[in-house]
Amino acid sequence: MLVLERIVTFFGIVGSILTDPASLAILFGSVILGILFGAMPGLTSTLGVALLTALTYSMDTPLAMICLLAIYVGGTYGGSYASILVNIPGTAAAAATAMDGYPLACKGEGGRAIGLTTTASAIGTAVSMLFVVSISPIISRFALEFTSFEFFLLAFFGILISGTLTAPDLVIKGWISGFLGLFLACIGRDQLQFFPRFTFGIPELDSGIEVVPVLIGAFGIPQIIEVLREQKAMAKAKELQRIIPEIWTVIRNIPAIVRSALIGVGIGAVPGIGEDIAGWVSYGTAKNTSKHPETFGKGELKGVLASETANNACVGGAMIPLLNLGIPGSPPAAMLLGALMLHGVTPGPMITFEHPNFILEVAAILLLASMAMWVSGMILAKQVVKILKIPTQLFMPIIGVLCIIGSYSLGLNIFNLYLMLPVGIVCYFLTTMGYPIAPLVIGVILGPMADENLRRALMVSQGSFMPIFERPVSLILFIIIVWTVISQFGWYRKGLAKLKKRFVSRMQQRQREGESI
Amino acid sequence: MMEREQLRKADIFSGAAIVGVGVFIISQAVQMPMKDSWGGVQNVWYVSPALFPLFVGAMLTLLGLLLMKTALKAVGLSGLQEVFSWLAGPQLGQFLKRTQTVRYYGVVVNLFVFVFLLIPRVDFFIAAVFFLIVLFFMYYCGDHQFLIWLLLRVSIGALLLALAVFSGLLDLATNYLRYPLDWLLMGCIATVLYVCRKEHRLNVPVARKFQKSIVIALVAPFLVGVIFKYFLLVPMPKEGLIVQVLDSVWYSGLW
Repeated sequence: MLVLERIVTFFGIVGSILTDPASLAILFGSVILGILFGAMPGLTSTLGVALLTALTYSMDTPLAMICLLAIYVGGTYGGSYASILVNIPGTAAAAATAMDGYPLACKGEGGRAIGLTTTASAIGTAVSMLFVVSISPIISRFALEFTSFEFFLLAFFGILISGTLTAPDLVIKGWISGFLGLFLACIGRDQLQFFPRFTFGIPELDSGIEVVPVLIGAFGIPQIIEVLREQKAMAKAKELQRIIPEIWTVIRNIPAIVRSALIGVGIGAVPGIGEDIAGWVSYGTAKNTSKHPETFGKGELKGVLASETANNACVGGAMIPLLNLGIPGSPPAAMLLGALMLHGVTPGPMITFEHPNFILEVAAILLLASMAMWVSGMILAKQVVKILKIPTQLFMPIIGVLCIIGSYSLGLNIFNLYLMLPVGIVCYFLTTMGYPIAPLVIGVILGPMADENLRRALMVSQGSFMPIFERPVSLILFIIIVWTVISQFGWYRKGLAKLKKRFVSRMQQRQREGESI
Repeated sequence: MMEREQLRKADIFSGAAIVGVGVFIISQAVQMPMKDSWGGVQNVWYVSPALFPLFVGAMLTLLGLLLMKTALKAVGLSGLQEVFSWLAGPQLGQFLKRTQTVRYYGVVVNLFVFVFLLIPRVDFFIAAVFFLIVLFFMYYCGDHQFLIWLLLRVSIGALLLALAVFSGLLDLATNYLRYPLDWLLMGCIATVLYVCRKEHRLNVPVARKFQKSIVIALVAPFLVGVIFKYFLLVPMPKEGLIVQVLDSVWYSGLW
């Protein structure tokens, strides 16, 4: 498709959403709901997307996408409210925002900080949208050349890298979590020979486990247990003054914003890595590159700007692998993948052929969601802040009811609940013991892709693994996987340090010899 | 998440559990057709349904062992002994009785009762109201003693209900009364409300909390349920007394 034609189509989609009152109402409603979800400590954008997946099940795909993407964008931004005003991140994505946001609120500049986060988040989302539009066709064309070996290695790499980067404790735990997800994905009849695996004679397991209820359980139930178990009383929110858009601060910091947006998009595009890591990396980079790093942590606007731009840019970044490769870039994107599958859309390299305008639709929704978020943030911030006064013990049980009815409604199957609750409780224990949940979820989603492609590839090669070393993409992926694994071991690091030391000493020796000559 | 030292100690056991899961997966996978015929098709190892589970099981076993090794290296044998003496000593009992653990039981028991016992058998609206009232009363209104008091009663009630269901007593009751469980649960809700009102009527702030909880517990399920049932056209998991009343109102033609 010509570039001009794509631009015309893009603005046509934007126009059609803007002129349709129902779409517009859903857009604003979902963004506001997302902001409320994000603002409430304990509720996350992932959970928001999960619950809306059930509500949007009967909607048309474009409307459902508006709903889900808008809540994702709003939820990622909404976390900054609690970070700034209570010093408790509403979502993990906004954890870095609290570092400078709360000191700003203590100085009586909470309104300024929220104004800045609103503008920065909107810019971050809009920039990421540009990447979705521009990079997707390239990746998609590239991915068309992939064979089964590449897809298997890609899925495996997704699980491994997600485990490596999201593990709060030991990296091994991240990998274990990913493999547990792969095991869950094995349950049911296998896709090539229809042989029942791990079904234990239970007919409901024959078709495999339903992904969305498992994801709702994995994200929702541990959250409910954790919030109700802890007896933490929320601190009183700081007073919020007039919300100022802070456009001049933003203009003055355009290079920093572009850098943060790039970090966000880049991290978002790595499978399974969420907005929280994007926020922290961007915050760290802003601090390290600042002329006055000592001001960070004491109410530095640039800190707030960096984390909020990056975490919202991550939304678009996460869409890139999701749409083009079928690999979710973040936990909420994993939920989105589940929702898309329910609507009969299978993301991957073929998406541009099966649904030619789908990527443009997603980009248009992201752009409009960022605008809706900015408008809602500016107008409703003072009202949204009131939600921080509601005790978490009152809304968490309601979230429980929503999780349960939501899981049931997807397929009208009570067995989904019997699956969701134990998965949720296991995930709660895993979280308590330092196992990340994102790799498990990515494993559940990518498991069928890995399994099917491994066997298909071996079928084509008659059982030979040699094509991995003969195809350049496979070889690169294989090397990255091997490096990801061995770089975590002590002996590798020690060896590398020894090599480095030897190299430096040799260089110094040569330098000395040169000087003496 | 636990403290670092506690984590390493727990890792020994979680690693062992992971090894167990890995071995279990392998043991199941070796029973799948590898080279023999399945469905009239002669298999080869690389298309066998066992291939991927074997890989996953082997990786889990390996990673579990690696985790155990790392944990044992960190805490040493003395650390392991400490864990065993903790498990055998009175500390375990104290841990199981501490406030946070009891609060954990409260959530899990209620979730299990709601999902496994009530949802398949009781009208969704009544079940949801009961679930919300119990959780609100446990975590929002009352103190820790009240939580224990309510948790004990809910657990005993759930056990009796389970007995009634599995002994066939419930089917017998259905012959005499329509929706016996719905009536029974409504009776339970009324009893809980009466007892709580009696206990806390003199304490104005707590009484206000109870009132707020009751209103939310009644309104929320109806909002959620009506949206799912009548707007999204999702039939409720169990449609009983309240759904019948709502149906008769909704489809009465009065709208």
